[in-house]
Amino acid sequence: MSTDLNLVPTGGKLTTGTSWRERFGGLGGNARQYGIFAALVVIILLFQAMTGGRLLYPDNVAALVNQNAYVMVLAIGMVMVIIAGHIDLSVGSVVATIGGVVAISIHDWGLSWYAAVALALVLGAAVGAWQGFWIAYVGIPAFIVTLAGMLVFRGLALAIVSQSIPVLDTTFNGIMANSLPNFLGRVGNADVLTLVIGVLLILATIWAQLRARTALRKHNLAVEAVGVFVMKVVLASAGIGVVAWLLSRSTGGSPIALVICAVLVVAYSFVMGRTVFGRHIYAIGGNRQAARLSGVNTRSVDFWIFVNIGVLAGLTGVIVTSRLGTALAAAGDGFELDAIAACFIGGAAVTGGIGRISGAIVGALIMGVLNQGLSIMNVDPAWTKVIKGLVLLLAVAYDLVSKRRAGTQ
Amino acid sequence: MNERGGAPLLSMRQISKRFGAVEALSGVDFEVRAHEVVALVGDNGAGKSTLARMVSGVLQPDAGIIEIEGQQVSISSPSVAHEMRIATVFQDLALADNLDVTANLFLGHELRENGMLQDGRMEQITRDVLAKLASRIPSVRTPLSALSAGQRQSVAIARTLIGDPRLVVLDEPTAALSAVQTAEVLTHIERLRDLGLGVILISHNMTDVRAVSDRIEVLRHGRNNGSFDASRTSFEEILAAITGATHVEPGLRSVG
Repeated sequence: MSTDLNLVPTGGKLTTGTSWRERFGGLGGNARQYGIFAALVVIILLFQAMTGGRLLYPDNVAALVNQNAYVMVLAIGMVMVIIAGHIDLSVGSVVATIGGVVAISIHDWGLSWYAAVALALVLGAAVGAWQGFWIAYVGIPAFIVTLAGMLVFRGLALAIVSQSIPVLDTTFNGIMANSLPNFLGRVGNADVLTLVIGVLLILATIWAQLRARTALRKHNLAVEAVGVFVMKVVLASAGIGVVAWLLSRSTGGSPIALVICAVLVVAYSFVMGRTVFGRHIYAIGGNRQAARLSGVNTRSVDFWIFVNIGVLAGLTGVIVTSRLGTALAAAGDGFELDAIAACFIGGAAVTGGIGRISGAIVGALIMGVLNQGLSIMNVDPAWTKVIKGLVLLLAVAYDLVSKRRAGTQ
Repeated sequence: MNERGGAPLLSMRQISKRFGAVEALSGVDFEVRAHEVVALVGDNGAGKSTLARMVSGVLQPDAGIIEIEGQQVSISSPSVAHEMRIATVFQDLALADNLDVTANLFLGHELRENGMLQDGRMEQITRDVLAKLASRIPSVRTPLSALSAGQRQSVAIARTLIGDPRLVVLDEPTAALSAVQTAEVLTHIERLRDLGLGVILISHNMTDVRAVSDRIEVLRHGRNNGSFDASRTSFEEILAAITGATHVEPGLRSVG
C-alpha cells in the first residue's frame, strides 16, 4: 500500500496561505483511505455478530478468498481503466470466452495445464489489444467498444461452449481448489507454513512503512505523528496476523488464490505508484489534454491499459473455469459490474484520475463479505442484490458529500 | 534592442495559416532573441495564439519559414518542440489537478531509473526550480487541486524550466489572476529573462505587457501591424496599432 500515489482528492481551491487543509492535506488523504479499511472492518464485525461467529470460521475465510478472487483480479484491471477515465463492460463475456477456449484446449486438444494457462493469458492480451485498438487509435469511446465486446464475446462463448465443457485435469482444477502444500506440517491444528507467511508479511509491512517514513524524512517532507504511525503499523500487522491465524486453522491452509491475488496487488501497486506508466495513467485521467500536450503518449497508455485488463480477464477465465471444473457459456455473467462496483466502493472517481489498487481490493472484499455474510444468514439472493446495490449507492454518495464538504470548507 | 550579434533565437518569416475559409495569419514576420521578452498583442482573433501554437508545435504553418538559431526547422509536434528546447505555458494551463506539484512539473518527462520513478530527485529539482522563480508553493507534494490560481500559474511556468529550455511561450499567463498573483507571475517572467531565455508573452493586458516586455509586436487581422520598443512607446500608440487606427506597412515598421 505504501507504494500507492498519495492522491488527495479535493474539489476546492485554497485562498489563504497555510490553511488547516494544507497542513493536514496528507493526513486527509490517508484518513479517507483508512475510512475504506474501517468500513470493511465494521462490516466484518457486524456480520460476525449477526452470523453468531460463523463468518470468520477458518474454512469460511478460505472460501471467501476463493469465491471472490475473480472480483479482486478484475478490479485491479478495472481500477486502472477507471482511473484513466474509461470503463470496461466486456470483461464478464471475455472471461466466458477464454474459459471456454481453455476448457476445449485441455479437454479436446489435450494441452497441459500450464500451456492452457499461457494460452488464456495470450488470448486475453489479444482481446485487450483488439478493444484497445478501437479505443486508443480509432477514438471510439470505451463504453461503446466494450459494450460491443460484451455482446461479441458472450456470443463467441455461446458458440464455442454451447452449454458446458468439463475440465478433468486435476492440476488445473487444483489452482482454485488447492492450498499451498502444508510441507511444514501442523502445530496443533494450525498450518505452520501459513503462519510463517503471515509473520514474513508482517515484517515486510513494518519494513516498508519504516522505509517510506525514512524517505519522507530524508526529503524534509511532513511525516505522520509517531502515535498515528505506530497505530497504523500495529493495525496493519494485526490484520495480517488475524487472517493468517484464521487461515492456518482452515482445512487447506493458504489458498493458492490468495497467493495469486496478493502477488497481483503488490505488483500493480508498484506499477501505479512507482512507474512512469502508472503516473501517466493518473495524468490522463486527471487531464487528458494536458497529458497529451506534455508529451505523454496518451494513445499508447490507453492501448496498454486495455491489453492489461484483457490479460487479467484471461487469468479470471482460468480462475473461474478451475473453480467450477467446467467451462460454462454463462460464466462471468455480471462480473464487469462486480468489478466496477468494487472500484467505486473503493474510492475511485467516476470522472477518472483518482483511485487506488488497494481501494479496489477492499471494495471487492466489502462486496464479498456482504455476499458471504448474507448467504450464511440464509438471506434470499434477491435481497442480497438489493442490499449490494444500496451499499454501492451509499458508498459513492458518502464519497461525493465528503468531497463537496471539503471543497466548500 | 537592436543588437544584431548572431542569428536570433527564433525567426519566423512570411508565416501564413488558413482554417478553412478563414485566413488566420498572412505573411507574418516574428523574431525573438535570447535575454528578451517579446510581447505578442492584438485583438481577439488577430492570430496571436495561432502564431504561438506554431512555436509550440501544436499547429504547423501553411507557408513560411521558421528558424531556430539560424537553422531552418519544422516544429511538427509538442514533443519535437520540447526536443528543440521550446517550452510552452498553454492558456488552459495543461496541468493535471489530481497530481502533485512535482508530478506536474515532470509530466511527460519523468526521471526514471530502471523503469522506476525517481521521486526523491524530482522533488529536489522541483524545489530548486521553484526557488529560482521565487515562487511560494507550500509543498512540492501538494496536489494541484489544492492550489490557488496564481500558484497554479507558478507551477505552469516552473514546468517550462524542466528540460533546460531556451525559448518559453506564455499564452495569457495573467488572465484570471488577482493583482498580487499577477505581480508574482510577472516576477517569474523577469526571472526567465534573467536566466537568459527568450520569452514570448501573449497578453490582453497592456499594463502587464508594458511592465515586463522589451519589445511589443502587434498583430491585426493576421498581419503584422507594428513593432514597438516597450520602454519608448506610449499606451496610446500600441492601442492605436491594435485597433487599426494606425496601419503600419511591412518595411515601414517603427522599430526593428
